[in-house]
Amino acid sequence: MTSITPTITDRWRSWRGVVGALVLIVLAATLIVLLGGSRNGGRLDIEATTPSGARALAELLRAQGVEVNQVTTFDDAVEQAEGSLLVVARPEFLADPARLAELAGRPGARLLIAPTEPVLRALAPGVTALPGSPETVRKPGCGLKAAVLAGDALVGGSTFGDATCYGGTVAVVGDTTLVASGSFLTNGKLAENGNAALAMNLAGTHQRVTWFAPRAPLGAPEGGEKSIEQLIPANVGWFTWALVLAVLLTALWRGRRLGPVVEERLPVVVRAAETVEGRGRLYRARAARDRAALALREAALARMTPRLGLTATAGENEIVTAVAARTGQDGGQVRRTLYGDAPGGDAALVALARDLDTIERQVLDS
Amino acid sequence: MALTGRAALLAVAGALVVLAAPAPALAFWLVVAVIVLAVGVDLALAGSVRALRFERSDDQRVRLGESAEVTLLVANPGRRRVRGVLRDAWSPSTRPAPREHEVDVPAGQRRRVTTTLRPLRRGDFTAAAVTVRALGPLGVAARQGSHRVDGRIRVLPPFLSRRHLPAKLARLRAIEGLNPVQIRGQGTEFDSLREYVVGDDVRSIDWRATARRADVVVRTWRPERDRRVLIVLDTGRTSAGRVGVDPASGDPSGWPRLDWGMDAALLLAALCARAGDRVDFLAYDRAVRAQVTGGGRGDLLPGLVTAMAPLEPELVEADAHGMVAAVLARARRRCLVVVLTDLNATALDEGLLPVLPQLSSRHLVLLAAVADPRVAALAAGRDGAAEVFEAAAAERQRVERRQVTARLRRHGVEVVDALPGDLASALADAYLNLKAAGRL
Repeated sequence: MTSITPTITDRWRSWRGVVGALVLIVLAATLIVLLGGSRNGGRLDIEATTPSGARALAELLRAQGVEVNQVTTFDDAVEQAEGSLLVVARPEFLADPARLAELAGRPGARLLIAPTEPVLRALAPGVTALPGSPETVRKPGCGLKAAVLAGDALVGGSTFGDATCYGGTVAVVGDTTLVASGSFLTNGKLAENGNAALAMNLAGTHQRVTWFAPRAPLGAPEGGEKSIEQLIPANVGWFTWALVLAVLLTALWRGRRLGPVVEERLPVVVRAAETVEGRGRLYRARAARDRAALALREAALARMTPRLGLTATAGENEIVTAVAARTGQDGGQVRRTLYGDAPGGDAALVALARDLDTIERQVLDS
Repeated sequence: MALTGRAALLAVAGALVVLAAPAPALAFWLVVAVIVLAVGVDLALAGSVRALRFERSDDQRVRLGESAEVTLLVANPGRRRVRGVLRDAWSPSTRPAPREHEVDVPAGQRRRVTTTLRPLRRGDFTAAAVTVRALGPLGVAARQGSHRVDGRIRVLPPFLSRRHLPAKLARLRAIEGLNPVQIRGQGTEFDSLREYVVGDDVRSIDWRATARRADVVVRTWRPERDRRVLIVLDTGRTSAGRVGVDPASGDPSGWPRLDWGMDAALLLAALCARAGDRVDFLAYDRAVRAQVTGGGRGDLLPGLVTAMAPLEPELVEADAHGMVAAVLARARRRCLVVVLTDLNATALDEGLLPVLPQLSSRHLVLLAAVADPRVAALAAGRDGAAEVFEAAAAERQRVERRQVTARLRRHGVEVVDALPGDLASALADAYLNLKAAGRL
């Protein structure tokens, strides 16, 4: 056999370790989530164990023999409201005036937490919310028994008129209790000050509590308009998925190589002149104009002396005289070019190189 | 397994169906089911790639710059036709073409596939893998698999300098023809006796032979033959430097000194063989990389190019001690030792120069090196300070090169320093000059 493509058995043998590890990890994660009991949820959700949830309060109430049920739809709320305390925990999700009116028609006590304008209008007519103050720990400051027994508590937000507790943020109108903010009910804040006592006193007045905490907006908003998701036909969603499938198949089609990548040991590529270029750059980096000038002068002299009829041992005066005679240039000028000081700057070096070229050309052409 | 463009097309068409369908969810899952079914049918009905059998033509050799055709025989012993594409993968430097072949091998039959290789560089190259993608009847999916089918191609040095050979042979014949002369001198040996003709030097009359015959007889001489020439190729780090323009691919980054040296060595060897001298070859850096000893006339050049083909520059400093020892072990009689290396002042100072007397005392040493035309171009640069500094560096290097050349000549070593294109010719000329002067 010359085949080098692994068979399915080979593939399974080499990948089974990885697959096994992945399966173990997923199983472990599932177990931890199922057994750990930590539940996420929205704000003031009695299932949620997060700091903004309200599971602690619900558990406390249940320990006192109060039956606490969470409902998330208008239908359930309307059905169970009678004979129990209806806690409206997420009023910002209740905007349908018709359903609110229906809910208001059911008898029973209510606890409104941070009520919005439509909720206030429907469930506590006559009460207006005025702009209030930030959440702080406040004293009861009123005769309400629940408040006096609880003492200091963390409240704030809107205020509901004069004859109310905690600076107007907690009010009782008939069998409706209004609370301007729900922070003191949350898992995170319940243990501080008199928060827990106030919460228990307000919510534990009945044997049954219907905790109305929707997880998403219920019903259409006031204009009766549909949301953008409802306007899109169902075909588009599935069309998108089909397109995703097409893109995936295209990627698989284009991404599959015809055979393995071919590797090759490549020879080293180094230009022989690189050392010379490197040395030139080094001269420049260190501004070694003296060395550069010396190299240029030596090379020019080495080329010129045979043409002047002189040997390599000829002295400076001899060469200068011969060059001056041959080129007709001034002797001092020739001496400065051939034997002068190192050039003072880069421009002088370039000029020197050109002068040397001129002299050399004149000597070689003569 | 591999998918084709049809699978993606099927999904796009399916997406349009989903968009128009009254029950989009059902339509979507139907589309998925159709695609899965088509892929499954194709995979099940495609010919087996794993069962294919391959046979390759024999190993080949080709000169650099020429192209070679490698054939692959595909046999399908399975029960189903194998239709699709085949890729015969070789090292990228061999530039295999075409990259993919259309193949259609009916069950129980064989087909021949020919790939053309146009190698970019010298050396040995092996076939990497043969991959076949066998399409199913619907053309939606294919089975794919690779086989290892051993194959090898040896890319020989191009011997570009062979165009100089006729001219050098003419010069060799001129030397030889010139030399059946009467004057006995260095580098000549006795050739024959012939009758005296007017104008012959009377000093070359062989009186003993004349006495035995009625005519006056003179001796003639010819250039010495059956000398030994040992060509040593330095494959150390200096041989990796690239010089000139790569004649095979036109790559301006150049051709390694090693390859220029090989070119010159081949011309020299061809010339020596015609001149009746024995040629040995040695490639050395820290160990013997290749050697050819005492090649006869006929098989000398094939043996040389075969030995040279797999050589690569080694990135180590060449060991001159070892090289001299290897040369001395191989050349017991006096011979011409041609060392193809670089005239690098520092490398020679620390390497060859200290041990050169051992060699030059017993043999005639000829050192040949490639000069870099780029250095000459740099030395002429005058535009701006950067170029002048580089010109100074180039002049410095040329001065060092001249100095080391002078020192080598003082050791009695002949030096050939020529531009890449001229090295082979210059080396051959140096050999002919030595031969004419009878110094071998």
